[in-house]
Amino acid sequence: MKREPTATSVQRMATGIPGFDEIMDGGLPRGGVTVILGGPGAGKTIFGMQVLSSGARDHGEPGILVGFEESADRIVANTAGFVWGGETLKAHGVHVLDAQLSQSIEQDGEFDLVGLLAMLAAKAKQVGAKRVVFDGLDILLAHLGDATLVRREVFRLRDWVHRSGLSAIVTAKADAAEARPSADYDFLQFMADCVVMLHHRVVHGTALRFVRVAKYRGAAHSANELPLTITRAGIEIAANTAIGLDYVASTERISSGIERLDAMLSGGYYRGSSVVITGAPGTARTSLAAAFAEAAAARGEHTLYISFDESPDQIVRNVASIGIDLARYLQAGVLRVHALRAGAESPETHVARIRSLLREARPQNLVIDPLSALTQRGYVEDSEGAALQILDLAKTAGISVVSTSLLGSSLPLTDQAPLNIATAADIWMHLSYVNQGGERNRAITIIKARGTGHSNQVRELVLTSAGVTLADVYSVGGEVLMGTLRWEKENDARRTRAAAQHGAMLREQKAELALAETKARVVTLAREQAIQEAELQQIRADAAIDVGHRAGEADELLHRRRADPASHSADAGAEPSAAP
Amino acid sequence: MIDTPAPAERALGLRLYVAGDAPNSVAALVHLRAALAELPADRVDLEIIDVLQEPERGLRDDVLMTPMLVRHRPAPERRVLGNLGAARALRNVLVIEEAHDE
Repeated sequence: MKREPTATSVQRMATGIPGFDEIMDGGLPRGGVTVILGGPGAGKTIFGMQVLSSGARDHGEPGILVGFEESADRIVANTAGFVWGGETLKAHGVHVLDAQLSQSIEQDGEFDLVGLLAMLAAKAKQVGAKRVVFDGLDILLAHLGDATLVRREVFRLRDWVHRSGLSAIVTAKADAAEARPSADYDFLQFMADCVVMLHHRVVHGTALRFVRVAKYRGAAHSANELPLTITRAGIEIAANTAIGLDYVASTERISSGIERLDAMLSGGYYRGSSVVITGAPGTARTSLAAAFAEAAAARGEHTLYISFDESPDQIVRNVASIGIDLARYLQAGVLRVHALRAGAESPETHVARIRSLLREARPQNLVIDPLSALTQRGYVEDSEGAALQILDLAKTAGISVVSTSLLGSSLPLTDQAPLNIATAADIWMHLSYVNQGGERNRAITIIKARGTGHSNQVRELVLTSAGVTLADVYSVGGEVLMGTLRWEKENDARRTRAAAQHGAMLREQKAELALAETKARVVTLAREQAIQEAELQQIRADAAIDVGHRAGEADELLHRRRADPASHSADAGAEPSAAP
Repeated sequence: MIDTPAPAERALGLRLYVAGDAPNSVAALVHLRAALAELPADRVDLEIIDVLQEPERGLRDDVLMTPMLVRHRPAPERRVLGNLGAARALRNVLVIEEAHDE
């Protein structure tokens, strides 16, 4: 198949169907005939009406729908559930002509489209139409009956469209289950410039819709089947393409909403990164997500909080109890909380809904709580794809996304996360319970953080009425202490410190005392020394006097012994040796 | 023949919407005229509308397909689409009225 440069050869008409124009390089062939084939309820009429509404409202191109199957009133009424539909369509320039064939009209012989096309041309001129939809052409073809007549009228219609300059959509019922429709449809596809198939099947009790572009004359196109959803916004195609916002990926850090967590992450999350917080029920995943939303809203950044199965009021009330004030930002309009019911629709529908919310709200930050809601109800093959699509969607749009994910097991740090989303995310944090000393405490671990230095320590997550914070944990003998045990450990440490201080003071005092004692002893000893020295001198002095005395006395003695020996008899008797 | 009713009072009010000289439109007119030839002319009020000339008539009357025969009188209104070549529906529309009238 020859591929031609796109967009130059074929002029496009934007359909206004989100996702569709992207995969179609701008839209359907302008001035050509596009055939939409699909089973009952596949959304063919909605497709046509949405294209007309978008053309009239957004591109100044009024349009006309010619209905062969349903009355004009009914066709308009059927669009009332869409934001673009209902009674206001006509005022915007969408006109419906009733060419219903089924009711009250008898048929007698052949007929043709000559009159219809003439009246349509007049109407188009009158309202300035640029787009036309022939809705339910299969009904008309059935009335024509004969294959030759069918061909003649289909050619007539095609040629008229090409001459008129209008862009046309022809819808026809085709049994989606049958790979090969009748020869009429083959012919219809053959003459068309573009063929779009809408499929509709039920999987696990939920309707899944797909779109496939079977033909696009003169242009390359993707022939893949793509998920299609119908929401209040109308039809959307979940093409895996960028949403087209123009935020730039950044090295800027934004707060996680928890100061100490920012510190653990070297400053916070990168703007535009994706964060997945996994954890068992009750481990405060929502609190962490809400803290992020609050911080983002406080910076004045538009933030979209998507909650599965919990109402906005409920979330606001619950996180208010831990000091997170979302109500203020809801009122200010920077924060929007949107609740979805997880089980109500298929994962693909949720993706489309989130996509349209992103398109509409254009937030800088997105919270999805929990992303694992998409894995419910056994959509195993689709759910991971859906979750990854949301992360991818946000990433390409530069939206910072914090999502939570339920992990059934409270055992932390097993490498097998139930979803690949944890590994696809830039930052993966795990919350777990630690049972210890009769308590359950919350622990937070950063399992990975791309391009970010991060602490590999486990921290305790502490929720108080003043907010969420982290506490250091103690590791004792290979066990991590939390909660009361941590508190006790902290007290022990305080006591030990106090005791040590006290001991040091005592020792100092003792040393001072010893020194004082020594000094006192030195003084005492010095005094003793002085006394002893004095005594010694006295002794010596006394001794010298004594010697002198003895010499004199001896003379005296001798003298006295001669003169008066009786008076010295005692002395003489005492010293007999002295007597020679 | 003395008191011919005015067209508005005639028993059978018919409008045939045609698209110029498109073969089916021409054929429808031929077949209708042939059928009406069997009825007294003063009983029938036939208007022929060419939507190529007066497209707004068809739009206003919600007649988008041609050729289309509309019997607007007597009520209820009946519509027959096609060149009337099979003549079944045409006869029903005309003959029932005939029988009813007599």
